[in-house]
Amino acid sequence: MTIRLRDLHTCFEGVIPSIIATASSDGIPNISYLSHVALVDDEHVALSDQFFSKTAANIRANNNAAVMLVDPRDGSQYRLSVVFERSLDSGALFETMAAELRASSAQLGMADVMRLRGVDIYRVASVAAIPSPGAAIAISSPATSVYLIAAATLCGRISEAREVDAIVDAVLDGLRDSFGCANSMLLVKDPAGERLVTVGSRGYLWSGIGSELTIGEAIIGTVAAERRTIRINDMSRIRRFGDAIRAAAVDENQTRTIALPGIADAMSQMALPMIAGGALRGVLFLESKKRLAFPKDVETALSMLASNAAAALALADNTSGNEQSLVTSQGNGALAGRPFSVVHHLFDDSVFIDGEYLIKGVSGRLLVHLLGLHLQEGRADFTNREMRLSNELRLPDFKDNLETRLLLLRRRLEEKAAPIRLLRTGRGKLRLEIAGPALLESR
Amino acid sequence: MPGTDCNPIDAVLATFLESPVMIIVGSCDDGLLPQVARAAGAVVDRAKGRVDLIVSGWQWPQTIANIGRNGRLAVTFARPADYVSYQLKGRAAIVPASAAHRQRAQHYIEAMTETFAELGLDQAVAASWLVDLEPQVLRLAVEAIFVQTPGKTAGSMLEPSQ
Repeated sequence: MTIRLRDLHTCFEGVIPSIIATASSDGIPNISYLSHVALVDDEHVALSDQFFSKTAANIRANNNAAVMLVDPRDGSQYRLSVVFERSLDSGALFETMAAELRASSAQLGMADVMRLRGVDIYRVASVAAIPSPGAAIAISSPATSVYLIAAATLCGRISEAREVDAIVDAVLDGLRDSFGCANSMLLVKDPAGERLVTVGSRGYLWSGIGSELTIGEAIIGTVAAERRTIRINDMSRIRRFGDAIRAAAVDENQTRTIALPGIADAMSQMALPMIAGGALRGVLFLESKKRLAFPKDVETALSMLASNAAAALALADNTSGNEQSLVTSQGNGALAGRPFSVVHHLFDDSVFIDGEYLIKGVSGRLLVHLLGLHLQEGRADFTNREMRLSNELRLPDFKDNLETRLLLLRRRLEEKAAPIRLLRTGRGKLRLEIAGPALLESR
Repeated sequence: MPGTDCNPIDAVLATFLESPVMIIVGSCDDGLLPQVARAAGAVVDRAKGRVDLIVSGWQWPQTIANIGRNGRLAVTFARPADYVSYQLKGRAAIVPASAAHRQRAQHYIEAMTETFAELGLDQAVAASWLVDLEPQVLRLAVEAIFVQTPGKTAGSMLEPSQ
């Protein structure tokens, strides 16, 4: 039976190291492990040229080589007779391999050291299975259509959602329920800066809502910078980013930084860019304790999901401000409860409630603005429209992500069990609920 | 660099070569077409500067044929846990597998299976790489040793230092 390279796609996931044997022109063999073999098409593979110069020297003298690939699912081995064709130092394939190398190097703090010099393209003359005495059972992955059906169902749910929070929930619940991905998070790009902010997550000890990452930082930030998906299917060789996972609450109050959630023993990670209208909207991140949790066909299905979610989020943020201003109502009887302090630090708009860090930036400013209006005017109901029109709020331009910021604020208030809650009372309408007299102080 | 000119394999290296490390074997035919194979254990004779590699003739017939024709062999020993690696090169001859060789292969397979289990790899997955069916011994007269351990640049291979 002829084996096609595409049948061996799991061998290219980088889980089990591949091997290359070469020979010099006078017949002295060399044998070495390879970190990276990529499938180009049914007749070609690409090897990254970043280290093995004896192999490189041999291959230029004698262009024949043998490559052994291993299927990580059942250990079966395949021998490829290959012939070196050419080296690339630019182009789409080079950029993809370079981005993957940068992502894994960034996590090791060695981005400058492990720079891809070139990609060597080899023609595959033959593929043969190495015999194994055990009954090697090739475990076929679920048919692509299974993932496609799940993605289609999920895209339908996302399209039905009108509000930012419903979209975020549809994505993360869908990843968990339809794709079996227990650990995931969705980050959106802050239009005001080069940062990503977590707006939802599933499966972590703490939600991390409001946690931030600089674009270019670690795997998620690299995906945002490069606007291309990165999958790592065996993390055991890669040190976990973010150092130790911090205990959230105590640290937050000192650093005014919310810790990014994560699982310490992740074996597989995938981050997908969320692009709509030609602009990066965010990053979808998944991780698993299992090796090879995200094969290529899952990536394909989820890339459609990420695009769909990006478009839905962009649309939700742009259409929420069209409602008419609501007539104000009275305060909501907060005077009966326990008094609490709200401290607003003007230099970074960070807000602390009873000494506990809540949020900073535009979301912090929003809360203080609403609370100020409540204290001055006694009303509790607000509209997105009036917030957009407020000079005091200094919202950044028209692409303000107001919906996303309100979602962050709402969820942080819930998570911190704060005596203030922000409720949605309709499309583009909000109500402030307060459990006691608020003492607002700006510093 | 382990060893000296007259005795290229020092005691530390000998212990490493006989420990549970993965052993991959490179050879080539007379048309310079290279082959990859795996060995299932090694026996080091320091005094004679040679290493016996136990290779399944059933699984790797082309490698056995190549060695029979020209004797040219390269072998890399790599420890899965930390990628400490050495490559040995020289000329090899095929010798019959003794009872001691067969026993070494058995012990090697057991120890490697255990090592992989500790690293979280399923026994069934590693079984195809640890085969001693129809064992042949490739007796390598070591001519050169190369350090092939990746540095702190984990995941990449470093060029041999010698």
